[in-house]
Amino acid sequence: MRALSRESSGWLMPAIAILCVLGIGVAGYLTYVHYAGIKVLCIASGGCETVQSSSYAKVVGIPVAVLGLIGYITILASLAVPGENGRMLTCAVGVLGCAFSLYLTYRELFTIKAICQWCVASAVLMTLLAILSTVRMLRADYSSG
Amino acid sequence: MSSRKAQREEARAKRLAEEQARAEQERRTRRLRMLGGIAIAAIAVVAVVIVISSSNSSSSGLATGAQAKKTAASVEQLLTGIPQSGTRLGNPNAPITLYYYGDLQCPVCRDFSVGSLPSLIANEVRKGKVQIVYRSLQTATRDPATFSTQQVAALAAGQQQKAWNYIELFYNQQGAEGSGYVTGSYLDALARQIPGLHIAAWNTARGNAALATQIQSEGQQAAAQGFNSTPTLVFQGPKGKLQPPDAVPPYAELQSAIKQVG
Repeated sequence: MRALSRESSGWLMPAIAILCVLGIGVAGYLTYVHYAGIKVLCIASGGCETVQSSSYAKVVGIPVAVLGLIGYITILASLAVPGENGRMLTCAVGVLGCAFSLYLTYRELFTIKAICQWCVASAVLMTLLAILSTVRMLRADYSSG
Repeated sequence: MSSRKAQREEARAKRLAEEQARAEQERRTRRLRMLGGIAIAAIAVVAVVIVISSSNSSSSGLATGAQAKKTAASVEQLLTGIPQSGTRLGNPNAPITLYYYGDLQCPVCRDFSVGSLPSLIANEVRKGKVQIVYRSLQTATRDPATFSTQQVAALAAGQQQKAWNYIELFYNQQGAEGSGYVTGSYLDALARQIPGLHIAAWNTARGNAALATQIQSEGQQAAAQGFNSTPTLVFQGPKGKLQPPDAVPPYAELQSAIKQVG
């Protein structure tokens, strides 16, 4: 019999949870803006409106902001799943979100040629989540019993 | 006696340590395999999403049947009654000119052309306040020869005062980027959707070397002004020149630009 004894790095779970909350804030705001039909608050002129109104802002008719929101909520919820399955789920959604964010960032830079700060913030959060959840999965500690 | 016992204890501890190290190694290998699986699955999911998303916009882009008629009718309705000359749309004496640098395969140009541009055409251009001049700038189209062929097809329609019909129909039925959808039959099918376009004359005009030269020259002019992305929009009026900050400006931003230069 093998049982999970403890997480080798206790700070990882709270850090992932904080990043998720920040991500929910960013994706939640973009989702709200999308459905309310209002202009995105952009720090520098340009990008946000261009990116949000482009054909890459939706995947099979679903706004990417909604997909991001679902992703962050799923990662946060997966922290409540105990054991290796929970850590694997967190890592899988994090890595998937990161891969998708990289694709969207590529489209921003090379196709749309405009940068949305909110999207960049989300991409950074997803990348950090992918890294932390991977470290959490690889470093989880077990003891035989 | 006690020495034998100590040796046994030592051997046991050594065996346990080896088993533990082996188990740890197995766990590490298993987790790394899982991570590899997750990474491959993530890449596969993103690839599938990209493919689905591209196929949704139709790889060929061309509308057929009732949809084709609907698209052609909406473009016709938008442009009927507005004067055209070459790639100029609107009254040539309009005080404000919008220079629109575009690539017919550029998806962001499509977003602009089917987004806020129709409102500008239906209001400011139709009222004679603004004229639009379309200029070619290669960005999204990878192959220069294809770029020249497609842009020349629009200019050839322009010789019958139908360039904007061709441009709008192209953007409305743009295919998936990089799918190689722009073929002779695609360009021909678009031309056949334009009411009143004389196809034989259009085909003859497509062979006119001067049109290909015009495309090249427009690209060079754009480069000389430092334009390297599409759509690049430049409003010019009595009060000067202005480029809207957004690549796909909403209608309100276009109106604001007109106000500033007019």
